[in-house]
Amino acid sequence: MQIAVKNISKDFGKKKNAVHAIKDITLEVEHGELLGIMGPSGAGKTTLLNMISTNERPDHGQIIIDGLDLTQLHDRDLAKYRRNKMGFIYQSFELLDSLNVKENVILPLALSRANKKVIEERFQYMMNLLNIEKLAQREVDELSLGQRQMVAAARALINKPEILFADEPTGSLDSKSATILLNYMQLINQKEKTTILMATHDAFTASYCTRVVFIKDGVVFSEIINPGNRDKFFEQIINMQRTIGGGNYFNVSQNY
Amino acid sequence: MYRKIIKRSLSNMRDSYLIYILACSFAIGVFGILLSMGGNPSLHEAMGWWDNFIYELSSIMSGLFAFFAFIYMIYVGGFFIQRQKNEFLTFEKLGMPSWVIVTISFFQTAIVQIIAWGSGLLLMVIFQKFMGMLLLYLMRIRINFTTSFDGYTLLTLFKTFFFSTVILSLVNAFKTVRILKKKRRKVNVKTRWWLRIPAGIFGIILLFSAQVFTWALFTDIRMISYSSRPINEILFILLADIFGTYLVYYGFLPTILNLLQKIHAISYSGLNLFSFKYLKERLFQNISILWFVTELSALALALLTFCYFGYQAVHESYNSSYPFELAANKDTVQFIKKELKQTDAKVKGSYKTDVKINLTSYYNKNSSTYTKQPMTFMSYSAYKSLPKRMHKGNSKIKANEFLKIDTPTGLMYRDQESESNYNIEVKGAPMIAKAKSGHAFPYGGSMHFGPMMIVPDKYYQKMPAEVNDAFYGWDFKKGDRLQKSQIERLKHYRDAYYMKVNFKSSLKDSTVEVIKKAPKQYDASVYTQVGYLREGNVKKRFKQGGGFYLYIVALFSVALLIALGSVLTLRILLRDDYQSRQLRTLQKIGIEEKEIKRIILRENTWTFLIPIVFALIQSYTAIAMFDSGRHISKNIILIFAGYIVLYGLFGIISYQVSWRSIKQKFRL
Repeated sequence: MQIAVKNISKDFGKKKNAVHAIKDITLEVEHGELLGIMGPSGAGKTTLLNMISTNERPDHGQIIIDGLDLTQLHDRDLAKYRRNKMGFIYQSFELLDSLNVKENVILPLALSRANKKVIEERFQYMMNLLNIEKLAQREVDELSLGQRQMVAAARALINKPEILFADEPTGSLDSKSATILLNYMQLINQKEKTTILMATHDAFTASYCTRVVFIKDGVVFSEIINPGNRDKFFEQIINMQRTIGGGNYFNVSQNY
Repeated sequence: MYRKIIKRSLSNMRDSYLIYILACSFAIGVFGILLSMGGNPSLHEAMGWWDNFIYELSSIMSGLFAFFAFIYMIYVGGFFIQRQKNEFLTFEKLGMPSWVIVTISFFQTAIVQIIAWGSGLLLMVIFQKFMGMLLLYLMRIRINFTTSFDGYTLLTLFKTFFFSTVILSLVNAFKTVRILKKKRRKVNVKTRWWLRIPAGIFGIILLFSAQVFTWALFTDIRMISYSSRPINEILFILLADIFGTYLVYYGFLPTILNLLQKIHAISYSGLNLFSFKYLKERLFQNISILWFVTELSALALALLTFCYFGYQAVHESYNSSYPFELAANKDTVQFIKKELKQTDAKVKGSYKTDVKINLTSYYNKNSSTYTKQPMTFMSYSAYKSLPKRMHKGNSKIKANEFLKIDTPTGLMYRDQESESNYNIEVKGAPMIAKAKSGHAFPYGGSMHFGPMMIVPDKYYQKMPAEVNDAFYGWDFKKGDRLQKSQIERLKHYRDAYYMKVNFKSSLKDSTVEVIKKAPKQYDASVYTQVGYLREGNVKKRFKQGGGFYLYIVALFSVALLIALGSVLTLRILLRDDYQSRQLRTLQKIGIEEKEIKRIILRENTWTFLIPIVFALIQSYTAIAMFDSGRHISKNIILIFAGYIVLYGLFGIISYQVSWRSIKQKFRL
């Protein structure tokens, strides 16, 4: 087991207006697992992902990764941990407007002061793999939403993180780009044993996972384990979405 | 809903608004205080002879202050509208009519102005007494200052408040209209090399030539009384500095930053990959602000230098005119002694020095002519036995050296120790081959009808005299206590005697005729020996004037510093949305807090450092104008250092506020 989340909770707002975003969630993630987190809007998916990825601190509970209790670490150490071990694909892309595409992608390697040759090699590899090599010298504000998402993905993956956090990674992508990205995520998950935690609304995207946890109103509602057959797994996800009420049968990707 | 939008905008930018409101309140408070001083009864009562001046001075000063404060408000008030650009464009996209958005910006500005005026007037009421007492203290007037606001002041304040608020709100509303018309969210600064590089090179040439002309000015400034060259040089230096600095900023700041960006070791190592580009973008945006602050800082430093030298020159002139509180010659000494006995004056020290008056002839460098005139001679030992303050302002001489004391040709460059006088012929005595220069007359400049010469004792004893005289001087504890009637009687002794000089072609044949009665007709050959010299009211007025001068200079300097500091601080604080969002992104992808803090620190450091370095380079012109280039006095260094410390203090505050706002915004 790589990640252990123990009884964490998180409130937003004060006193009367307080919103209980996460209520006493306990979760375990194995090394090399591709875990999907699903649920209706406002269920707490992004908050849970942010807490596990140390971007937010839980009000209560523990988050243990590789035996290290991250809730006890100083902000400074958390930032180092995040930089060295984790990669992020955010719903809002979080690209740096001051930098061009290439600079955005190589930033994690530059921060770890990697060799120039290594930086160039990894950059070319990622750009070719995600089919975005033509974007290298473009400015961020010249990109479409889908292109931004792919650039954000390239940045997250360039330094081969041990754990990858993805918040709606295919939300802005067309079906072709979504499939390229998901295939690559599956590839690194299987070959390099990268642990991936992915929050999504999309049943097609979730069907790439080995396990999907459903969250509703800040608590774990249920979970489904991939039986090894994607079609069957997809059906199970759709059924669970219907049960929860956060999605319906028609909320299915067109390319499935 | 509109009320909510305004409330939220004010709350979102509260740190920046707080700085702006504080700076405006200070300006409004000072404006109100200056304005109300004109009609203050205690000032009118205390400064009888200033009576007519007080009202005029306070009106001019407050008007000047209001004008600059208004420019500041228009300039800085626009920052906030610029900061809300994206918000306004979003409102428009959502279907809000343009006139509503413009109205929102109008009322937002009006509300901020009302708050600023409210707190400014409060400051005025609280601090009027304090500022009045400070003024009286500096002017050494020992009376109580009473708080008072006359109807005229209140009416003027109300009118200024009303019109300035309406105008500022309209200006910002107009700026909003322009934003809505342009509709561009992010403006990329174009690097047009073909324009920037030649402009930058021209800027460097201008700055370089300004420095060359400054060196020339160091020597040419002496010609100011008879040549237009120094004035032309000063004009050229001013223009070259102002435009040169802008062109260098415009042309080279982007070029240098872009070149540095090409060096991967600098711009591609670690966080520099981001911070370098971020800083470059911010500096690009702020080029005109940096230039504005540079020129105003240079102006502030030049102003302080000018004030310092001006004050020093007046002070020295005063001290050399009145080294003793009371001075007399041998014709008036008996009468003055008698009058002093009738007062309760406490004499601290009294002095007597014998002098000889003889005829001289020498080449006058200033008028480029040969001058023949009588001169007062004093022996070296007599000169040395006088209090130190008498010879402090003169060149140091040894027992065998000569010193020629003369009235300075100008107020600004009186201290020219290196200059020497040559070949001074003296009637019946050996020619003086070389003499040092000085401007401080023993017993005061007004006691002498012309130049004076300090000579070695032997020379003095052997030299003949056309007239033998003696000077007397007294120092008192708390003044000479002479009554008005005594002063009236003293006036009869103003002139001790007159000397009619008959110059012949040879100095040997020239003679001096002493006349006791005032001649019916004065001509160039008649010289008057003053009978007495008294500080009295002059001292009082000098101290009052000096105090007033200090008060105004201090007030304007502090106001200028506050304005400059707050402009830079606000510029740093008011980042575009996407610029501040990037710092949050950095934190999300694992950049430590201290590294983000370092980015903020670097931004602050460069934004504050660049203008002050350029300002210091430029402002030494001011020293050239007054110091004749021989030395930079310790006091000037202290003034500059003081300015840098206060300016740096603003830099530190700006950094702290900037970091605090980032931390609060992103819960770092």
